[in-house]
Amino acid sequence: MKVRVTLYGTLSLGVPGYRHAQGIEVELPDGATVNDLLALLEISESQRAVVAIDGRIRKATDKIPGEAHAQIFQPVHGG
Amino acid sequence: MKFIRVNMNEQTINIADVPPEYMGLGGRGLTSIMINAEVPPKCDPLGPENKLIFAPGLLSGTPLVNTSRISIGAKSPLTGTIKESNAGGTVAAALGHLGITAVVIEGQAPDGELSFLRIDANGDASLVPAQAYKGMRTYALVEKIFELYGEKTAVLCIGPAGEYRLTAASIQTSDIDGRPCRAAGRGGLGAVMGVKGLKALIVDQGGKSADTIADPETFKEANKVIVKVIKAHPMAGQVMPALGTAGLVAPVNSMGAFPSYNARKGVLEGWEKISGEAMAKLIQERGGNTTHVGCAQCIVHCSNEFVDKEGKYVTSSLEYETIWATGGMTGIDDLDTIARLDYLCDDIGVDTMSTGVAVAVAMDAGYKEFGDSAAAIEMVEEIGKGTEFGKILGNGPAAVGKHFNHERVPVVKGQSIAAYDPRAMLGNGVTFATSPMGADHTAGNVVGEYLEQKLDPLNAEGQVEASRNLQVGTAAMDCTGLCFMAYVALTTPEGGGALLKAINAKFGTQLGPEDVPALGMRVLKAEREFNKKAGFTSQDDRLPKFFYEEPLPPHNAVFTISDEEIDRTFDF
Repeated sequence: MKVRVTLYGTLSLGVPGYRHAQGIEVELPDGATVNDLLALLEISESQRAVVAIDGRIRKATDKIPGEAHAQIFQPVHGG
Repeated sequence: MKFIRVNMNEQTINIADVPPEYMGLGGRGLTSIMINAEVPPKCDPLGPENKLIFAPGLLSGTPLVNTSRISIGAKSPLTGTIKESNAGGTVAAALGHLGITAVVIEGQAPDGELSFLRIDANGDASLVPAQAYKGMRTYALVEKIFELYGEKTAVLCIGPAGEYRLTAASIQTSDIDGRPCRAAGRGGLGAVMGVKGLKALIVDQGGKSADTIADPETFKEANKVIVKVIKAHPMAGQVMPALGTAGLVAPVNSMGAFPSYNARKGVLEGWEKISGEAMAKLIQERGGNTTHVGCAQCIVHCSNEFVDKEGKYVTSSLEYETIWATGGMTGIDDLDTIARLDYLCDDIGVDTMSTGVAVAVAMDAGYKEFGDSAAAIEMVEEIGKGTEFGKILGNGPAAVGKHFNHERVPVVKGQSIAAYDPRAMLGNGVTFATSPMGADHTAGNVVGEYLEQKLDPLNAEGQVEASRNLQVGTAAMDCTGLCFMAYVALTTPEGGGALLKAINAKFGTQLGPEDVPALGMRVLKAEREFNKKAGFTSQDDRLPKFFYEEPLPPHNAVFTISDEEIDRTFDF
């Protein structure tokens, strides 16, 4: 399945050629989880990335729905 | 460890050792415990019985990094409650280098008289007539002050809004570059300073009489660990230098919790145009600085310098709460307008948050259309000019709601909420409702708990406990002078241990981890005691009605924490 990904914070620095307006599209097997997506993007655990889909933060083991738009952030604790 | 007490009636200054009852206190702990002890709770906040207290944190003036927060306390003319508002910049370190624990402004000058309070490099204080600076905006004022006293000077000052005694008036403080762009914005403390007749507190940065450190070697070691922990932290070490707090625009919109169009929606259409990512790109393209040192001894560099199309300075630092208040709430998705509004607020001396929300309430009431940039700028200019409508606006959202007879006013105890809708981030709603300061995100911000996936923002379970723990921890942190960015990084066992070690090395104490929440609870108890004596009850710890009744898109959620649960927040 195809998943559209938008990266925020400093996460895009690890993806050469990333353009924020377009984001990127990745291919994942059906039933892939949030963890699988982060592994594919080579986002390490130490970056504490958070994945939001349809307005909700998803757990690492949550399955990603088909045609999803995943927004990936780093936690910020306050402004 | 010196106290400077200034009597504005008599124009006299007394410098003495810190009284025993206030020993070991700093920052918010000192301002709140002093106000509770010395200010009559039912007094007129704009009368002579109120006191305005400037207190650097316990660690300000030491070599420890990121300890440049100054707490400013008084009874608030905006909320009627006790108030502590803190700011960064250079003044906390300057006072700390002089061994000054607090500057207390008492009484009030005869109506219309203005003074500077000048503290020189020897720690000597004097009142200087400042009639010539009446009505002057803050950017012009600091330039004049630097001409008089040199650029190695830290300034806390008010603009026209403080002189007009508007209840959203801020106290501005100079940053590393000498710009009055840092603010103790909340609670209208600029009006208290104005009514006392104090235009500016001017402190020489060359002081060399800081309080001694009991164990300098251990202190140095602790500082090294703290630097390492902050640098390695994903937020303090990566996101903050790249985007600053504006990095929150994306996650909070994506979670549907960005109060927009006066809290009618949880997502701003076009929020990507005002996100931290968009801001950083625009600043870079124009040759400004996305990473900037704003405060003394800062290693996080969360500040930025926003420039216009010609590369000319507009404002510093454009931050999340300001982007939200002047952008999200007003429906304005244009960073140039938002930056202009930020500059105007700093220059006039009003809180960007209360002002942005006040503009939004006026728009919601039909005065102007949401998204009207020119109208928003014109409205804020009116505050500076002191027009009748400008004064209503400068008294904050509740005053605007009353003027238009409009009920949708997102305030608690008269102070506007911050950039987290209580319906989509329930724990922040608990903090807004219960904080002794009125609605205040800095009192206990739960957003990090949601992003760290420790808590579901839409599920009532655990929200009261989260708010309580954060309010206690924040109250303790606000005593130290540490900024929030550093504090978040130091919540790890290694970081927390090093911080405690630094405090013990500074004071020669043997404090343990349990003493940190104990301090936070002591501060909160003093604040709540003051409010109770001032006439506040649990019925004041409630959000405005529309948060309980009006579903917020996209989650279509309402605030679901019961009054009984809210009232358990301070069960300690």
